[in-house]
Amino acid sequence: MGKRISRASSDTVWLAVLLMPALLLPVALILMPALCTFVNGCMQDVTFMPRRWAGLANYARLVQDPALFHSLRFTLLFIAVSVPLELACGLLLALLMQVQSPLRGMLRALVLIPWAIPAAIAGRVWELIYSYNWGPANYLVKLTGAPAVNWLGSSTGAFLAIVIADLWKTVPFVAIILLAGLSAIPEHLYRQAEVDGASFIRRFVAITLPLLRPVMIVAILFRTIDALRIFDLIYILTSGGPGGATSSLSLLGYTYFVGGDFGYGSAISTLIFLIALLVALLVVRIGRFGSSMR
Amino acid sequence: MFVLSTAGERRLQRLLYAAGFCGALFFLLAPVIFMLLTALSQRPDFLGNNYVMTTRHFREILTTPSLHFVRYCINSLAISIASAGITTIIASGGAYVATRFPFKGRTAVLLMILSLSMFPQICIAGYLYRIIAAAGMVNTWLGLILPYIAWIMPLTFWILISYFSQIPQELDRAAFIDGCSPLRTLVTIVFPLAAPGLFSTLLLAFIFTFNEFMFALILTNDHAARTVPVGIALFQGLHGELPWGVIMAASVITTLPVILMALLFQRHIMQGLTRGAIKG
Amino acid sequence: MKRLTVTDISKSYRLTDRTVAALAGVSLTVEPEEFFILLGPSGCGKSTLLNSIAGLELPDSGEIRLDSKVLFSAAERRVLSPRERNIAMVFQSYALYPHMTVAQNIAFPLKIRRIDKVEIRRRVEAGATMLQIGNVLAAKPAELSGGQRQRVAIARALVREPELFLLDEPLSNLDAQLRSVTRNHLKVLQNRLGITTVYVTHDQVEAMTLGDRIAVMRNGKIEQIGTPDELCQQPVNAFVASFIGTPPMNLLPVTAEIDDRSARLHVADRVVTCSSGNVRPLGTQGSRRGYLGIRPEHLHLCTADYPDSLAATVTGYERIGRETIVFATWEGNVITLIADATTHPSVGEKIYISFSAESLFCFIDDAISPE
Repeated sequence: MGKRISRASSDTVWLAVLLMPALLLPVALILMPALCTFVNGCMQDVTFMPRRWAGLANYARLVQDPALFHSLRFTLLFIAVSVPLELACGLLLALLMQVQSPLRGMLRALVLIPWAIPAAIAGRVWELIYSYNWGPANYLVKLTGAPAVNWLGSSTGAFLAIVIADLWKTVPFVAIILLAGLSAIPEHLYRQAEVDGASFIRRFVAITLPLLRPVMIVAILFRTIDALRIFDLIYILTSGGPGGATSSLSLLGYTYFVGGDFGYGSAISTLIFLIALLVALLVVRIGRFGSSMR
Repeated sequence: MFVLSTAGERRLQRLLYAAGFCGALFFLLAPVIFMLLTALSQRPDFLGNNYVMTTRHFREILTTPSLHFVRYCINSLAISIASAGITTIIASGGAYVATRFPFKGRTAVLLMILSLSMFPQICIAGYLYRIIAAAGMVNTWLGLILPYIAWIMPLTFWILISYFSQIPQELDRAAFIDGCSPLRTLVTIVFPLAAPGLFSTLLLAFIFTFNEFMFALILTNDHAARTVPVGIALFQGLHGELPWGVIMAASVITTLPVILMALLFQRHIMQGLTRGAIKG
Repeated sequence: MKRLTVTDISKSYRLTDRTVAALAGVSLTVEPEEFFILLGPSGCGKSTLLNSIAGLELPDSGEIRLDSKVLFSAAERRVLSPRERNIAMVFQSYALYPHMTVAQNIAFPLKIRRIDKVEIRRRVEAGATMLQIGNVLAAKPAELSGGQRQRVAIARALVREPELFLLDEPLSNLDAQLRSVTRNHLKVLQNRLGITTVYVTHDQVEAMTLGDRIAVMRNGKIEQIGTPDELCQQPVNAFVASFIGTPPMNLLPVTAEIDDRSARLHVADRVVTCSSGNVRPLGTQGSRRGYLGIRPEHLHLCTADYPDSLAATVTGYERIGRETIVFATWEGNVITLIADATTHPSVGEKIYISFSAESLFCFIDDAISPE
């Protein structure tokens, strides 16, 4: 091998000029604040007080903080309930969208509506829907003869309210992703299975589900990380109430940032990041492991 | 999808489809319809009562200066259009280099960009505020545009990479031979061929920034730069009771263009979304 | 017109686990106005070499010049980008810009060079007339047939009056009939314009009919450079011998005893003798293993009593118009020969084959084995 030759012409410069701006802002305004936040988790950093190194003091406080414990439990519970539901509803919706029918185009267009509406506005609409006295949610409940539910005022009601509103907003996204996965499954596999005499439930279990697996894993990863950082919907629907029952980790961190305790807020943010990282690694690992088993 | 073998199965399936379709339609549309009904109703508690239609809420939200709604709309549009446009232009340059020129550390750069899109917003928000405050840009358009560009860049980048890698490299090479510089090749050959992809990307970037909440909440104080979602979220009545009709009228006005976009460019948006997701 | 000089070009690719040499010290000179062919199997490095000449790939070492203009020099650390080289190229896929009309495609390189509009129109029309695509100038590439697209690509390359004309398997996407027509057309065109041309192909028929000279490549190296006749009559090794000519040369494994004047080749229970001038590499001496090579057209059918004839069994035949290709086995070796069309062999039949010692080659120590 000879010595390396660099492109003497101006092309290299052009390439750098084209690539650099795409990296510059994300590094400056995403990576840098994030890294600062991680470091700041080890600082005592409260408004109007001198900033100083605090080691793991924030984290020691974190471990004993009942509010954090509540937040963590709520967030994990929320993930555990909403992500499987989203996946199930998303799959159903995706299957509906794939069926050859004159209504297919309409369904595919309408599905984008909840996705496209700003989460803040969705939050407001659902707040109204959950209104105790004249919201349609309780109107439906009362039609069945059951007593009105205190949707946003009780901890169980608020949890359910958030899960349902979140489902409405996110199922379309899951469905769109899964639909792409469904469309990628070659038609002839179904034909073959049909010729082999498999019923349509059998075909679904034997062909659709296994082949959809990689896309499902992507959807799970996206949704889990998104559910982990849920903020806007809760901020509007319950502001974390009643009594902190629905305060997600992001909302808790936000409260401390706004309250001026940057150090502790940073520690909470770092925790969220670590959980997100863990989730990502876990989902990817499980996905790999599963596919190597087959 | 399913070609059913027996008549019974076929009938069952048609039934299932009809039920599913109606259910889906209700699930997807009911909240939106309720929003519209409330906006057009004299009073929010019309369920079980008489429905009296009025356009007064719309007039009120659009003409009351103290509500600043029009200003929020202008802020939102300006900030989203600027962020989406600038991001798409910048990202297309980067994506072009990343798909065409194998340079040292390319994989590392791509992975970093991908992982940036996974960062929870709250991990960024605190220091982002400090940076923007230090630059004196809190509560200005630029103070939101810059973070938005950074925030949607990774996604935009990935979507564009998947579009650009579909354009045959031989076309670039032919353009080089014909005398084009890389920049000129990008503009005269790649852009026109990737136009549908660029358009999808632009749409997605617009929707994402238009809908963003947390940064806008933290980085704005009042109508000088506040965006519509934050404006609507923080909307409070003057006398304790929330003016639901007005809030819903504002929501309808805000969501109408977004919904129209979604319906008109359904194919583009779906394609862009799935590319961004599946590729990642 | 310009002379292209390629000196000791090397290029290797780094894969995850190893480095692969795509070009290993390639040197060649293409004379002004010459139609020069790079011929070899896929992966032999011919396209890498062409791309290096065009400036689309960067070699690790060596030098490329067009007359006195240095296109690439590792020693001087200089490299010109493609647009600084004034070289035209036709790609295998034609690489027509799908969003431009035929006229815009052809005009594109001229527009980039800021040639004035009147001149552009004149040249586009001239080019279109020359290549008989004047009637499709307003069409988009997608509306054209394969042959038309190919001619548009050639027109686009030629209107700029390039200093060097490169073609990368330009005929491989055409059907057989169109291919031979276009081949002739291309040859005539190149003759008339007199542009120095380098043409990459894996098809030896194309190479033999088009090329003034041919470089046969294998594994990133040039095996032999010569006119079609030289390659056919004086192959330097078994690889070149088997790559050139249809059907390919017969190769039978032998042990050879070679002295100054002649080589005695032991094949099965026979000993045949050929002149030492037909031993490759020339000047090899002693007892060696190798291959006996003889072209199918130099084998003849004869009667059983013909001296030294080989008794072979027919395994198949192909009638191709004026001649018949006969496949036979002799002592476990497959032998191909060309007989005239009046021959009607039947499978399993015993035939007798004769040949003259002058048409024999002996290839020593060559890695390639007969296929």
